[in-house]
Amino acid sequence: MRNILPKIGFSIAFAGLAIFILFPIFWILLMSLKDYADVIAYPPKFFFTPTLENYKDVLFGGASGGESGSGEFREYLVNSFMVSGGAVGLSLLVGIPAAFALSRDRVKGADHLAFTFLSFRFAPELAVIIPLYAIFQQLRLYDSYLGLILSHQLITIPLVIWIVRTFLADVPLELEEAAQLDGCGPWGVLLRVIAPVIRPGIASAAILAFIFSWNNLLMGLVLSGPNTRPVTVGILQAIGFDQVRWGWMAAAAMIAAVPGMIIAVYLQRHLIRGLTMGVGK
Amino acid sequence: MLLPALLLVIGILVPFVQGVARSFTNEKSYVQNSAFVGFDNYLALFTNSTFLVGLGATILYVVLVLSIQIPLALAIALLLEKTSMMRRLGRNFIVLPLLIPPIVAGLMWKTMMQPSAGVLNYLLNIIGLPGSSWLTNPETSLVSIVVIDTWAFTSFSALILLAGLQALPESLREAATVDGAGWGQTFRYISLPWLAPYIVLVALFRVADSLKQFDLIWPVTRGGPINSTRLLHVQGYEEAFRFSSPAMGMAIIFVLWLIIYMASFLLLRLWRRTINAVE
Repeated sequence: MRNILPKIGFSIAFAGLAIFILFPIFWILLMSLKDYADVIAYPPKFFFTPTLENYKDVLFGGASGGESGSGEFREYLVNSFMVSGGAVGLSLLVGIPAAFALSRDRVKGADHLAFTFLSFRFAPELAVIIPLYAIFQQLRLYDSYLGLILSHQLITIPLVIWIVRTFLADVPLELEEAAQLDGCGPWGVLLRVIAPVIRPGIASAAILAFIFSWNNLLMGLVLSGPNTRPVTVGILQAIGFDQVRWGWMAAAAMIAAVPGMIIAVYLQRHLIRGLTMGVGK
Repeated sequence: MLLPALLLVIGILVPFVQGVARSFTNEKSYVQNSAFVGFDNYLALFTNSTFLVGLGATILYVVLVLSIQIPLALAIALLLEKTSMMRRLGRNFIVLPLLIPPIVAGLMWKTMMQPSAGVLNYLLNIIGLPGSSWLTNPETSLVSIVVIDTWAFTSFSALILLAGLQALPESLREAATVDGAGWGQTFRYISLPWLAPYIVLVALFRVADSLKQFDLIWPVTRGGPINSTRLLHVQGYEEAFRFSSPAMGMAIIFVLWLIIYMASFLLLRLWRRTINAVE
C-alpha cells in the first residue's frame, strides 16, 4: 500500500502535465479541421465531420476570398524558408571559424568576445531593429531577403557560436596537436580534423538556429514587406478589425508549427545545450 | 578566422549605438528634420503615465513568471526524474511548446480563452470551477498572458533542471539515504544546493526573456485592454512604428535594455558564485 499511493500520485501528476502541454495543440488541430459552423458552435465540439477546407484556403486560396484568402501563404512559406535558410547558412559560414578561434583561449579576450555574442541573446531585439528600419530604407535593404538574412544574424549567430564552442571544448587536445604536427594551419585543423568530429554539434546548432529564425516575429513585422513576408507575420492577417478567421488561423498556425514539431522529435539529445546556448550542458 | 564575425558584431553594434543617439533627438517619421533635445525624451517618459504603468506591468510580469514557473519547473523535473519511462515519454512532448512559434502559442490560447465561447471556460465549468474573462478584462489580462507564457516556456526551465538533477552524483544521494535522511531531507540538503546554479541559470534566461516579452502579447492583446499588458517592448514598438516616433521608441527600448543588462549582470554574478559554492 505504501508503495502504491505515491505511484498513483505521480501518474496523476504526469497525466495532468501531459494534458496541460498537449491539449492546446490538440485543440488548435481540431479547430483547423472544422468548418465555420463547427468552429463557433457552443458548447465546443469535440466530435464533428473533419474537413481540409481551411488548409486548402490557406495554401491555395478559397471561398473566403480577400487578401489573405488568395493563397499568399505559400509565398510566406517560401519567404520563411529563404530567410531562415540563408540566415543559418551565413551564420555557419561565419560562426564556425569564429567559435574555433574563440575556443581554447587562442585569442586574447576570447571570453569577453564570446560573452558579447551571448549578450545579443538577451538584448531586446528592437534595440537593433528600430535603427535598422531607417538604415535599411536608405540602403534599399528593406523588404529584401538580404536585409532579413543580415538582421536574423542577431538571433542565429550567438546560437551557432555558443553551441559549436561547447562541442569544441569536448574535442581532445591531442587530436588538434597531431594535426598541427602534420603541418596543418588553423584552417586545415578546423576543416580536416575538427569539423568532422563536431558534425553533430554543427547539425544541432544549424537546426536550432533555423527554428528560432523561423519562429521569429519582430524582424518580419518591421523589416519585411509584401515581397518577403514570413509565415509568422502572415498568420497575423487572420486577425481583422471586426473578426478573427479562426479556422484559417488554426490551419496556418499548424502549418507554421510543422518544422518545429518535426525537429522536436529528432533533436532530443542536443536540445538542452542548444536552448541555453551551451551554457548549461 | 574571427574577422567576419567581428564585422557582424560591428554591424549589430553600430545600429544600436546610432539608435541610442537618435533617442536624444525629436525625430518623427513624418518630419524631415530633427534636432538634438538632450534628455527630453527620457524626462518625458518618467512623467508619462502609460510608460510608468508599462514599467510596473513589466516588472510584475517578470515576478509572476519567476514565482510560478521555477517551482513548477522544479516539480516537473523531479517528477520526470522518477522513472525512466516518464522521462522518455515526458521529454518527447514537453519540448513541443519550445519549438512552435510563440505567436502560434499566443493565438492558440487566445482561441481557448474566449470568455463566452472558448473551450477553457467550458472545461472549467464542467469540473465545477468558475470561468474567467481572461484576456478581455484589464484585471485578468496580464495573468492570462503569464498563463500562456507558463505553457510556452516552463518546459525550457524544466529540461534544464532535469539535466541538473541527472548530473547529480548518485553517491551523494545514496550517502544521505544511508545516513537515514528521508526524501524531504535529501531534497533540502543535497538536491537543492546542487541545483542552485541551474536554478540561477534558468532565472537568468527567464528574466531576460520576460522583460522583453513581445511575441505572446502583440498578436493576443496588442497591449490592452487599457494598457494592462502594454509591457515596455510592446510600447517601444508602438512608439516607433505606430506613432511614428522612433526617437521615443528607442528611448523606451534603451531603458528596457539597461534594465535587462543590469538584471543579467547580477544573475550572471550570482551564477558564478553558486557554481563556486557547489564546487
